[in-house]
Amino acid sequence: MTSERKLRVLLAKPGLDGHWRGVTVVSKALMEAGMEVIYVGNQTPEQIAEVAVQEDVDVVGLSILSGPHLKLIPKVVKLLKEKSAEDVLVLVGGVIPKEDIPKLKKAGVHEFFGPGTSTKKIVEYIQENVKKT
Amino acid sequence: MFSKEELDNIRKKEEEWLKICEGWKERKEMFKTYSGFPIKRLYTPLDVKDINYLEDVGFPGMPPYTRGIYPTMYRGRFWTIREVCGYGTPEDTNQRLKYLIEHGETGLNIVFDYPTHNGYDSDNPDFEDEVGYGGVPVDTLLDMETILDGIPIERMSTSLINSPFVAQSIFSMYLAVAEKRGLDFRNLYGTNQNDFLMWAVFCSSSNVIPPRPLHKLTVDVVEYCTNHVPKWHPISFAGYNYRETGINAVQELGLVFANAIACIEEMLERGYKVDQFAPRLSFFLSAHNDFFEEIAKYRAARRIWYKIMKERFKAENPASYTFRFHVQTAGSTLTAQQPLNNIVRTAYQALAAVLGGAQSLHTNSYDEAICLPTAQAVLVALRTQHILQEETNVTSTVDPLGGSYYIEYLTKEIEKRVFEYLETIDAMGGLISAVEKGWVHSEVSKAMIERQKAVEKGELKIVGVNCYQTEEEIPVEVFRPNPMAAEAQKEKLRKIKMERNNEKVKETLDELRKACEKNENVVYPTFKAVKAYATIQEISTVFREVYGIWTRPLIF
Repeated sequence: MTSERKLRVLLAKPGLDGHWRGVTVVSKALMEAGMEVIYVGNQTPEQIAEVAVQEDVDVVGLSILSGPHLKLIPKVVKLLKEKSAEDVLVLVGGVIPKEDIPKLKKAGVHEFFGPGTSTKKIVEYIQENVKKT
Repeated sequence: MFSKEELDNIRKKEEEWLKICEGWKERKEMFKTYSGFPIKRLYTPLDVKDINYLEDVGFPGMPPYTRGIYPTMYRGRFWTIREVCGYGTPEDTNQRLKYLIEHGETGLNIVFDYPTHNGYDSDNPDFEDEVGYGGVPVDTLLDMETILDGIPIERMSTSLINSPFVAQSIFSMYLAVAEKRGLDFRNLYGTNQNDFLMWAVFCSSSNVIPPRPLHKLTVDVVEYCTNHVPKWHPISFAGYNYRETGINAVQELGLVFANAIACIEEMLERGYKVDQFAPRLSFFLSAHNDFFEEIAKYRAARRIWYKIMKERFKAENPASYTFRFHVQTAGSTLTAQQPLNNIVRTAYQALAAVLGGAQSLHTNSYDEAICLPTAQAVLVALRTQHILQEETNVTSTVDPLGGSYYIEYLTKEIEKRVFEYLETIDAMGGLISAVEKGWVHSEVSKAMIERQKAVEKGELKIVGVNCYQTEEEIPVEVFRPNPMAAEAQKEKLRKIKMERNNEKVKETLDELRKACEKNENVVYPTFKAVKAYATIQEISTVFREVYGIWTRPLIF
């Protein structure tokens, strides 16, 4: 009987945004759901992509409340693609106006979980959508 | 306040009443305040029988200050209307500041962007994407000059929401502008946030220097103001920000007071007498959702501060033991769903702040959970305060809720718990040690997680989110800060670096480095450096190189 590999999730804050409450509660919920969570705090897009590949993660979750999401998030996705990590599920949370979500999805973000989302919804989404190799 | 006979009669009547209550069902098993205090169905003289009016409640403007720090409070003067402002370019922020003043704000409140708070210039390739989003970029003195252009700082007080890491630079720039205008530093009014706990715990960040040198930098500003800018509040212990993480009212007060104690101890260590600097220590608190608890919190805070300063530090100047505070209504309680509801939340929270005797108030805009405030949204936030001042008549008497059995009881409970919290922190060797040990981070993570669970279980109700949701969306205009801010700042920096005396800049930075190494007050060399148009990154790099980088504890 093979033991099933735990889902590996990288959680990061792209850039310098100082709000860590959302990413903390998501980390806890994912850990309680049996996932391996690597939280790296504030990192540049380059650093995030680097760690994602090094740690061979299944999911990258980005949390940003400071405003420059349309600049920073597409950079992360682009770098993941360049490093051949296209299969990684890219999820975003934070303070992001609804009208920006289609732009982020076009850039490669799979889903956005805004203020008021339940962590249960995020866990379920990951379990249903992650690409298992 | 009541005789034994009266209390006995009340007790007997209460027993009768409790019998009647048995026939009445209640909505919940247990009613609690946001901080977890059980709330009784009714409060009576029995609940305040041990409270002595003169000792515990007293008169405003007299010890123990429970009812207010001034004898006449809002009958004498309204609180200052001080809305947070900062985005785009310094020119954009200057325009919005003028708009706010034109529409009735009475004090300035400037917030800087993330690269600035972290000591990075707008041309730093790693961070140029973030210029002008969370606040206004300030790279050099030129930017401060632009922000304040045409603004009468000799007549208005300015709050500078500066991180503890760059407070010395930002404040020095403000002083340099004042100096250029021929203003006497002794007549400058304003506040620096300059709170080390923000950078050690409450804001996540990268490349932070360790808590002890960070604390030292903040006290340098306190010391400098004590000697040169005596009317300025050199520090504002930012309980508001602590509270945004989900901690409760007791923790909010416990942490601001532990922080104040650490600051005072350091200044005493430097040889100052408490009455020389304590009058200018100030506080920044939240106005959260639990209406009565928040009011009791402000009253408790005044009494607690009086006792700490009198008993622990033996202050003799009354200005040392009067608790001055600015309030911001709680941003984290506002929702992206049905955003107009936020106007109502903010109004209730602002009312609590006013009934609690705040000196200065920022009301959030209804688009808080979506974007920075549009001009229209911030106007509603301003008017919320004007309506409080001009229409509700709550300002015509001091501490109108004083004497309420519930409020007096809750004030006392909060006070008791805060002193217990302070004992816990003292036992760890004080706040800085508690930070180094990861204890504060752990307290905060726990609170964050518990609050989220309470929301998801439906115990903590949020209208529009876990109850009264609607499908239809009311569109709200989204504010976009100037997307060309980084380009504009980069061009300015290019020019400044060419036009300034780079030799002089190097000299001042070397002087700053020596001051750091010799453990001297860094504000003096920083002031020289900003006047030579050294950049915030050039100055902050010195701090990073001398003090090193700290790995923050990560606690789950």
